[in-house]
Amino acid sequence: MMMVDRRIFQEIDWVLLGLVLLQALIGVFFIYSSSHFLAGNYHVRQLIWIGVSLVVLAFVLAIDYKFFLALAPYFYVLIVAILAATLVFARFVAGTKSWITLGLMQAQPSEPAKIVMIIVFARFFADYKSAYVRSSHTLGALLIAGAPLGLIILQPDLGTAMTFLAVIGGAFILAGLRKKAIALLLVAALAVGIGGWNLALKDYQKRRVTTLINPQGDPRGSGYQVIQSKIAIGSGGFAGRGFMKGTQSQLRFLPARHTDFIFSVIGEEAGFLGVFIVIVLYLALLARMFLSVSQARDRAGVYIIFTASLLIAFQFLVNVLMIIGLFPVVGITLPFLSYGGSSLVTSFVACGLVLNVKMRRFANV
Amino acid sequence: MLEERIYEDLSVVRRRSRTVFWIVVALAGFVLAYYWKVQVLDHAKYLKSAEANRTRVRPLAAPRGLILDRNGVVLADNRASFKVSLVRENVKDADASFAAVSRLLGLDEKTLRERVDLRKDLPLFEPIVVADGLDSDAVVPIESRRREFPELVVEAEPQRHYPNGSRAAHVLGYLQEPTPEEVRGGSAKTRAGEMVGRTGVERQYDAILRGDDGSVIEVVDSLGRVQNEQGHSYPVQGGTVKLTIDDRLQILAEEALEDREGVVVALDPRNGQILALASHPTFDPNRFITRFTPAEWSVLITDPLSPLENRAIRGLYAPGSIFKLAMALGGLDGGYVTPATTVYCSGATEIYGAVRHCWFAPGHGSMDLVDAIKNSCNIYFYQLGRRMGIEPIAAAAGRLGLGRRTGIDLGGEKDGLVPNTAWKKRALGQDWYPGETISIAIGQGQLQVTPMQIAALTARVAMKGRELHRPHLFLSRPGPDGADPGGTASDLAAAEPGPAPFGEAAFASVIAGMWKSANDGGTGHGARVEGFDVCGKTGSTQTMSRESAARLAQAGHEVKTHSWFSGFAPRDAPRIVVTVLVEFGGGGGATAAPVAQKIFAKFLEIMTP
Repeated sequence: MMMVDRRIFQEIDWVLLGLVLLQALIGVFFIYSSSHFLAGNYHVRQLIWIGVSLVVLAFVLAIDYKFFLALAPYFYVLIVAILAATLVFARFVAGTKSWITLGLMQAQPSEPAKIVMIIVFARFFADYKSAYVRSSHTLGALLIAGAPLGLIILQPDLGTAMTFLAVIGGAFILAGLRKKAIALLLVAALAVGIGGWNLALKDYQKRRVTTLINPQGDPRGSGYQVIQSKIAIGSGGFAGRGFMKGTQSQLRFLPARHTDFIFSVIGEEAGFLGVFIVIVLYLALLARMFLSVSQARDRAGVYIIFTASLLIAFQFLVNVLMIIGLFPVVGITLPFLSYGGSSLVTSFVACGLVLNVKMRRFANV
Repeated sequence: MLEERIYEDLSVVRRRSRTVFWIVVALAGFVLAYYWKVQVLDHAKYLKSAEANRTRVRPLAAPRGLILDRNGVVLADNRASFKVSLVRENVKDADASFAAVSRLLGLDEKTLRERVDLRKDLPLFEPIVVADGLDSDAVVPIESRRREFPELVVEAEPQRHYPNGSRAAHVLGYLQEPTPEEVRGGSAKTRAGEMVGRTGVERQYDAILRGDDGSVIEVVDSLGRVQNEQGHSYPVQGGTVKLTIDDRLQILAEEALEDREGVVVALDPRNGQILALASHPTFDPNRFITRFTPAEWSVLITDPLSPLENRAIRGLYAPGSIFKLAMALGGLDGGYVTPATTVYCSGATEIYGAVRHCWFAPGHGSMDLVDAIKNSCNIYFYQLGRRMGIEPIAAAAGRLGLGRRTGIDLGGEKDGLVPNTAWKKRALGQDWYPGETISIAIGQGQLQVTPMQIAALTARVAMKGRELHRPHLFLSRPGPDGADPGGTASDLAAAEPGPAPFGEAAFASVIAGMWKSANDGGTGHGARVEGFDVCGKTGSTQTMSRESAARLAQAGHEVKTHSWFSGFAPRDAPRIVVTVLVEFGGGGGATAAPVAQKIFAKFLEIMTP
């Protein structure tokens, strides 16, 4: 382990960190607006989680990412074991077994699993220097991803599984897939999709997909969330209905207001203006993350930056499309803004990895 | 400057990474465009949905207007009907609560539990009605123990009430919930559960009587739980309707029928105002408010005596000898007879090859028109009928308003029928036989009139044809300050245009006969009132349709004639017309005339200070 010297500390991208904190604080405001009438002080808890996330972030920054890469196999074995244990021991909550209880806390092991996959893939592809991947390599990567992915699908947690696939797909894109391989993967994906629809998807998951196509078909059931969310967003108008004045969120028509549908609350109470600001802030953050690839000192660093950025970008896009009815409701949170400790820490750690790579661009091993 | 430090070529992966970033930017642009569409372009639509989501309009029932008699006696008002609901959310201990509530409401616990279980799928905060239709006495113990029963909610709603039960039921009519068709038709917006006038004055003046409902706009959350009130408009009671009915005469008219099926109509010939209208058998309109059980309803509408029918305007009867008034007027006016013309009655005569009898077998001897009316001699009118022929008879009846609705302000009035050659050809495809004219001449055959038509005819006779007033029930519509906005009342009271149907001399002869009938030992002597100069005419209808006979047999009656009396008083300045019909009452003089006598006597008593 390497100590943090002053020079490295000065290299921290404070703009990126500032954007992350700004988003998280915007999130706290709207968590307060949408949950102040509930017991549980969610806004306070979210603030505590931001603090925890910052501590974890500092820890992540303090250690050279090379060290994480070196430990990647251990992380991998550990997370697969935890996921397997979750599947065995967790109780069903809302039809899935994705939560485990650790004393007073509940956690979703599938969240840190995302981080582990970023590191594992970076290590796996780091040595691979040609422009396109070979099939043996592809197979290896798929096998590595398969174990945790399979366990998450079994929970079942469709949203996290999709995020996983996005990270894996991103790694392959970066490694370079030939057209033939892309075609093959698409065919495979289609086959898995059709097979999954008929064999693996639970009824409620199927309904979510059919609801996307016709939300009015089941307005009291799974279509309800999307209809109410769209009403919330649309009724916000250009300038919004005012902080804590959105009837859809204040009168609880909106589902999962402080978690998955936090952006609907922003759309209702802050209007298009609020939506625009949050999306632009997001793009600034993502630009800061994605474009730092030019500052990574090695191939593993590029992989880390890219997959971590993609993790945030994918969840962001799916969430904002999902709540307005352009994507099935798959339970993907809006990174930094949605209430939830696991998700918040994971997002912060993903950013931490990017910062870690970026700040060590001059460091010599 | 950084490049030299990097010892492997990362340009390919960097390029790919940037490409993916720009794809993300493009997608975010698309997201923004779509949000713009939903939030800015379609804003109004979603705002409306959000409003509809969160507000619920709860109507507040407006009480209907009062119905008063001409002296201000209340015929229809409202009383508070209370309903008690249970809110399960506020129940602390279910078993103890059920036991206590059932004791408090006087319900047995099983019934109470059943009522609650029936609605157990409702959210817990939603009140469940456990008792309704309670009067104020019944809720006093509940209200006084409110603090002990936080789970009970007492709500009051105005409910139509007829304090006198069935009195004037056919005038007032009854209320019913609109049929689904009427609701769909949307002619009048009605609140769920609101009742509208179905018959009688309640229907005729529904627009005045119906109040303006108030409403509360409640803000509700996604579970329907009321958060607060956004707007409140108070209900406004409907307008008061004052009727021409005199409750004292109405009471008497109903009593005088003594539970026989029949009709009593009393009206003021000077203006057409109906003073009393009784139709028996009758019903209690209060029963419609508390809702019948299907069995009760079925009994009511299949009752062979049709208690819901207003016989005064919907009962069709042969006028019998009352029709002789029309014959006499038509005969005099057309010059077929003069007051001096005499006919000899031997008790029977042969006309058109058939022997016809007078009702008085020994015969009335030789008599003129006045005595023929006094004695209601059939032979005289057979001869008059033969001289006139059917067309002049039908024309005279038509000019007196028979066979045609009077235009009373009640719905469902029937026309009746005055037959003639053209009608028979059209309706039955047959030629008119002269023998039928002879039956018509004494008010039999296919003649059909309503008692109201007879009352209107009598009023014309009483006024010697000078004025013609539509019978009506609406007197005035007192405003909140007692002022009458007018309109309807003056329209109804206005004399109808058109010349007098017959000369005054003809009326004078007929009235002379009617006076003698009541005061000089005639058939109507039973209606005589000392000092009131009653003029009247009796009738006994001998025929009935096959349908009526069947109906009668079903009701277990022996077949008797319908008994008629119609007259007015006093002779020189008529103030009241009374028409009485008693179904199967026997002779008009014996049964109907004494009923009318009671009305005349009472009227005289009321009017004499």
